[in-house]
Amino acid sequence: MKAFIVSNEQLQNDYYRIRFDAREMAAKSGPGQFVHVRIDERNDNILRRPFSIHNAENGMITVVYKVVGTGTERLREKLPGDSCDLIGPVGVGFSSPEDDVIPVAVCGGYGAAATFMLTQRTKQPGVLLLGARSAADIILTKEYEERGFEVKIATDDGSLGHKGRVTELIDRLLAEKPGKKFFFYGCGPHPMLMALAKILKAKNLDGELSIDHFMCCGVGACFGCVVKIAAPETADGWVYKRSCVDGPVFKLADVYAE
Amino acid sequence: MADLSVDFGKFTLKNPVMTASGTFGYGMEYAEFYDLSRLGAVVVKGIRSIPSHGNPTPRIAEVTGGMLNAIGLQGPGIDKFLHDDHYLPGLKKTGATVIVNMWGVTIEEYAEVAARLDAESDGITALEVNISCPNVKAGGAAFGTDLKLAHEVVSAVRNATKLPIITKLSPNVGNIADFARAVEDAGSDAVSLINTLSAMAIDINTRKPKIANKFAGFSGPAVKPVAVRMVYEVSRAVKIPVIGMGGISTGADAVEFLLAGADAVAVGTANFVDPFAPLKVIHFINEYLDKNGFKSVAELKNALIV
Repeated sequence: MKAFIVSNEQLQNDYYRIRFDAREMAAKSGPGQFVHVRIDERNDNILRRPFSIHNAENGMITVVYKVVGTGTERLREKLPGDSCDLIGPVGVGFSSPEDDVIPVAVCGGYGAAATFMLTQRTKQPGVLLLGARSAADIILTKEYEERGFEVKIATDDGSLGHKGRVTELIDRLLAEKPGKKFFFYGCGPHPMLMALAKILKAKNLDGELSIDHFMCCGVGACFGCVVKIAAPETADGWVYKRSCVDGPVFKLADVYAE
Repeated sequence: MADLSVDFGKFTLKNPVMTASGTFGYGMEYAEFYDLSRLGAVVVKGIRSIPSHGNPTPRIAEVTGGMLNAIGLQGPGIDKFLHDDHYLPGLKKTGATVIVNMWGVTIEEYAEVAARLDAESDGITALEVNISCPNVKAGGAAFGTDLKLAHEVVSAVRNATKLPIITKLSPNVGNIADFARAVEDAGSDAVSLINTLSAMAIDINTRKPKIANKFAGFSGPAVKPVAVRMVYEVSRAVKIPVIGMGGISTGADAVEFLLAGADAVAVGTANFVDPFAPLKVIHFINEYLDKNGFKSVAELKNALIV
């Protein structure tokens, strides 16, 4: 579907926020789902690019992206009034938190974009644990705080917040809020998610993780973006599931951490 | 309006535009976009006798003018394909004309799968015998790049089914026309070509191949001239119908294949870019025929001026 661009602005450094006028799509969108974007019609870089839906309010789909390659370079050059072809919302998203549960988003870098709509779906004030290489990669914290989320930060180089891994913030959170019920929502790089899965399982905590892989069709046809999902009933103990339509959000119990 | 139907002898298609196997899932993935019965045929992803994981990831890479894939024929196996609503039973309900792409790792398995499909052939118009997937070690290209094996495997399938069979040829051979003649002699009712070109891409930062399988199949707009040349050669080497594919993204691309000698075409990688691509191709062909005074799509087969 052709969607006009309302705005396309820099957040900080290589991070940008683009808004599409897409009323019907926005009405159907939830946290953790994505739009599959044909940035422009070219024959050199042909494939669509998947972007997590950061927000879907006021008839607009908002995407937060980092310029990392040819596709995102071209997206950055788009101006208000230009258009892209969008498929979406695609995929299985995050479930809404139960009324008595504190949602905890554990994110790496721009993974924080994918969990943002949880701020609109929770009764209890939530928590964002956000990790990145350095302060320059910490985004969206103000938006989360404005929506009532408590934000805790970890950076690899210690330039902001805790020096170390984002998963190291989990123990601190549990100690600060004894006796509370939590549900964890993970989105970030694959190694971070696998570490998160192991930690949550070891601590008997529950959650959902957004796991994906380089995506091609985005509709479940090509089987390019598969991820290993636990299948205890099978001989190998796992099966490949399509992250685009069987995911990208999978229940923690189904995550296969090698 | 010109006659878009295509006569394959044992069956007829309402128009010459099909979907290329592996680029259209099992059909149902695209049913939410449009009515699948509008297509000449839906050719489903390759089916074998048992479920298969396929290759490790990464399986996909974008390259200039196209993409590489090494999915490795991940699939549900024939039992699930025949009886689960996500596969054939669901696809049949859409009213689509169904062609089942099938494979095995041994000649016996090809025959077994063909026999199973023959026994439950309701709603299946034809089989496409995949002897050309470059991404699996056994089966696939192992049969499609050896003239004797290609003949043997198609003969085995021929003996196992009365369904029309289309053999999908590999472009990764010295002379593709020889392979077309071999499978025609073995009883194939049609040939389809090309499958993907064997290729490789490397990430210079990690110094690793971009695809876990190392080698992968190259497809997309850049392969079209190679495919057109091969369709031209094959259509002059055999009497059976030829289905042309390889880099078709637009109706104009499709007409090129029809002029080169194809009786029908398939849209592949373009489905990933634009789910509506096959419908746009049908519209263009119809308009091209009318504008240029052709009464049927069949007239294009001999319309090339050389």
